[in-house]
Amino acid sequence: MSQEYAVIGKSVPRKDGWDKVTGKAKYTGDLKFPNMLVGKILTSPHAHARILSIDTSEAEKLPGVKAVITHEDVPSLKYGISPARWDENIFCIDKVRFVGDKVAAVAALDEETVYKALKLIKVEYETLPAVFDPFEAMREDAPLVQEEYPRNINTEIHQNFGDVDKAMAEAYYVRTDRFKGQRTYQSPIEPHSAISIWDKDKLTIYSSTQSPHYFQYYIAREFGLPMGNVRVLKTHIGGGFGGKLEPTGLEFAGAVLSKLTGRPVRMFYDREDMFAHNRGRHAQFMELTTGVDKDGKILAVHANFVMDGGAYTSLGVASAYYAGALLTIPYEFDNYKFDMYRVNTNLPACGAQRGHGHPQPRFAFESHLDNIAKELGIDPVEIRLRNARKSNTTTPNEFKVETCALTEALEKARDLSGWREKKGKLPSGRGIGIGVGSFVSGAGYPIYRTDLPQASAVIKVNEDGSEATLYSGSVDIGQGSDTVLCQMAAEAMGYVYEKMRIVSADTELAPHDFGAYASRQTLMSGAAVKQAGEEIKTQLLAIAAPALGVRAEELDCREGIIFVKANPEINRTFGEAAREFFVKKGPLVGRGVYHVPKLGGKFKGAAVGTSPAYSFAAQVAEVEIDEETGEVKIAEVWDVHDCGKVINPALLHAQVHGAFYMGMGESVWEQVLFDAKGKIINANLAEYRLPTALDMPRLHSDLVDTVEPNGPWGVKEVGEGATTPVMGCISNAITDAIGVRIDSLPLSYEKVWRASKERKRNTSGE
Amino acid sequence: MYLPDFEYYQPNSLAEACRLMAKFGPRARILAGGTDLLHKMKHGQLEPEVIVSLNGLERLREITYQKGVGVVIGARATHNDIAGSALLQEKYRSVCEAAHHMANNQIRNVGTLGGNIVNAVPSADLPPILIALGASVKLAGSQGRRVLPLEEFFTGVHSSVIEPDEILTEVIIPDQPSTGSTYIRFGLRRSGALAVVGAAVAVTMEGETCREARIALGAAAPVPMRARQAEAVLKNQVITPDLLEEAGVCAARECSPRSSIRGSEEYRRDLVRVLTRRALQKAIKEGHV
Repeated sequence: MSQEYAVIGKSVPRKDGWDKVTGKAKYTGDLKFPNMLVGKILTSPHAHARILSIDTSEAEKLPGVKAVITHEDVPSLKYGISPARWDENIFCIDKVRFVGDKVAAVAALDEETVYKALKLIKVEYETLPAVFDPFEAMREDAPLVQEEYPRNINTEIHQNFGDVDKAMAEAYYVRTDRFKGQRTYQSPIEPHSAISIWDKDKLTIYSSTQSPHYFQYYIAREFGLPMGNVRVLKTHIGGGFGGKLEPTGLEFAGAVLSKLTGRPVRMFYDREDMFAHNRGRHAQFMELTTGVDKDGKILAVHANFVMDGGAYTSLGVASAYYAGALLTIPYEFDNYKFDMYRVNTNLPACGAQRGHGHPQPRFAFESHLDNIAKELGIDPVEIRLRNARKSNTTTPNEFKVETCALTEALEKARDLSGWREKKGKLPSGRGIGIGVGSFVSGAGYPIYRTDLPQASAVIKVNEDGSEATLYSGSVDIGQGSDTVLCQMAAEAMGYVYEKMRIVSADTELAPHDFGAYASRQTLMSGAAVKQAGEEIKTQLLAIAAPALGVRAEELDCREGIIFVKANPEINRTFGEAAREFFVKKGPLVGRGVYHVPKLGGKFKGAAVGTSPAYSFAAQVAEVEIDEETGEVKIAEVWDVHDCGKVINPALLHAQVHGAFYMGMGESVWEQVLFDAKGKIINANLAEYRLPTALDMPRLHSDLVDTVEPNGPWGVKEVGEGATTPVMGCISNAITDAIGVRIDSLPLSYEKVWRASKERKRNTSGE
Repeated sequence: MYLPDFEYYQPNSLAEACRLMAKFGPRARILAGGTDLLHKMKHGQLEPEVIVSLNGLERLREITYQKGVGVVIGARATHNDIAGSALLQEKYRSVCEAAHHMANNQIRNVGTLGGNIVNAVPSADLPPILIALGASVKLAGSQGRRVLPLEEFFTGVHSSVIEPDEILTEVIIPDQPSTGSTYIRFGLRRSGALAVVGAAVAVTMEGETCREARIALGAAAPVPMRARQAEAVLKNQVITPDLLEEAGVCAARECSPRSSIRGSEEYRRDLVRVLTRRALQKAIKEGHV
């Protein structure tokens, strides 16, 4: 009993590990219900067109087809995930706004019939001029994607903190750089799917979702049902990364089809549908101006951004705010100005993707800071150390940062990577770069305005004390939250991880939680779980005390043994005491709830970026460039994270690996491409090139210790923050290798080839 | 994303397969590995009424050495069959390597040599090395059989000299004096990426002198192409680094790549230069065919 904790801090096996590796795990699309139909959505082939007529009669006649629906069969109430901008309909009514917009849906006996029926729906369109570039979309004469947004400006932000103009005027060096990001897509391995069962007044939906709660809320609203009449739950999820946070046509259309046919309906996206539905990363156009003093200390920053939002709002209002809000976190400066236009275009809607709005601006800023360091002759690590945030500080946009070990992380990454021996000394074609990142550990405010708590949890101990079940609305989408929360529950109860069961992500069986987004669950769901566990323990010690002849305060419980703290030899088992509790008092239940304390300032948009705690990361990458072909090999990476107390090291490092992998793909390989008519030309995994296992470098994931007072046991997030430093880090390493900066993502082989060639031409011309 | 309806035949003899193809003509398609055919059918690019599967013809999967003929590879040999063939490992390791580095393992398990050729896409990985090695293809039809150099097989993107009733049955690599050969592909990730450019070479060295060089390029023109001007640069010359670069420059000049989402024309042309030079270097240095 020498260790401080018995269950947390250990790499226990995942709760779902066995089922997943043996293929036993069932995902939504694997589920079968008696009489279940299959359904699919017909989408628009045009980027912008008026719908003149829809004729479903031929499709309805096809044997096996049970229902065909259009906008006439569904509520016309607009929905969205951002309450400020509900702008989507279940099916388009007057016009379609991108290639892939939803027009109709079919339910039939089998998939083959569904595909055939979709082809038989005749839609007459009148094509309209379309706009695909956000700058063109802002012109007065541009076609309007949504009538309610003049000049297609969906979200406009102007924030100003401190006195940027004065600080710039006083700066020793002021630099402006411009960078471009690209559209990327989350590409979860599991395609979206939803099974809707409308039975009398009850609608049950199994969905591949990151948040049963938001689905329940918006689905109930759309159909005018009390929330209690809508049950949303999930099975295993094959990844979300932000793309499964908002309900889709699969849930809405599936519900209507189920109601019409009286049968369960399984709706699904195939890979192409997923790309068209999108909600992936916005392409951002980023102009950064920074003033520094002689030593490279940042005095003021102006971020002037435009983002291509696609046809609808999705989570884009938050994406737009996050883009600028989080720029203030890793480095300390007092003066900050942020301007942003999120613009609608006739392309698929963008939303939240791992790191939500922040990774591209972080890429821009890390690249920009290296440019400044180079100009001033300061080492890139050194300039970051000089500006790194410290604990117990507040950002200019009023985010309180209680723990921050960025300095220690930078020093550790520098030392582990051999930075001093390598920087400026690597042979031709090799380069080393550094980037930092940070992220919220849960958003300070939910997506829609409500006074609901962020998280709640119930633990019920079995009648004979042999097992306990945690009920939590949290959502395990593959990141391992079921495992981590069971560890936390067992720790708080003084129980054993292996005897913990969990019922999660079911709006009927589990208590409220907002779900898996904004890296919130370890801290927020965990706080509720800890409280529930402690309530179990308190009740148990009280019932156990008399038999041991002591007062409850003299007892503790650990790994299923209740013992006298002063004399551990005097003890009894958790199970025995739990049984006694049940016999005398009924079910042994613990409850927990977590509210975020009031956070943030009072200015417009002050809520976005608030969080109880922030993670920090420093990352060094070494790359090898084939300068003749532009081929980029990411050779080795050192990532050092400040993510507070670690509950499960194996899962934590897996998050770092996965986040790096994702960031690496966005850095060099991934981009959604369109033809001149707005149709995606690489909506598949052959031409949308996610890196493969063979492209992964050797990655060292390391930690610096902090204990965050606002998190249970001191936890902070890791899942999204670990993506944020990657693009800047790789950009800086490639720049170091080829001697020239590429200002647009992805840093593709061809761009590297072109840049290397131009540099050589310029050098030989001198 | 769903296969259209079709009639399916799996004949037990080549003669029967040819008869079926003659009967159905352009309405029928041959199925071997299906990695191209089924993909196109699922995406509505092809809607054959009849599928004639070669999967009943086991002998078409054999890889053998026939004296006086050369190495004969059955058209149904999968990429992994080729990559793992002891005979090819010994005689033409470059062909094994070309097969091993294409696509990904799942596709290499089912995709076939015949399909890789008949599909006639510029980026196919096996035609360049086979052309560099002077390979021929045998076509069986209802009217009989014919053998022609692989180099003369292709006529354009997705088109070749094969007649609707013909089936490609084997590829023959003749015995040859080559002392070194190799194929280098450039893809945009390490696995599962089509070649942006591929360069295959076979050289016959006599000491430091190159007696003969054959260079075949993939994804550098509408069809796999010989870089004959580059070959001429090398013939009967003492090899120097500058000469290899000159051959690369020459190949880049004579090829005619197109721009696509995988690379611009300009980029591909420069890759041809680099890959041709590197392939020559490798084939000369490593000295195995």
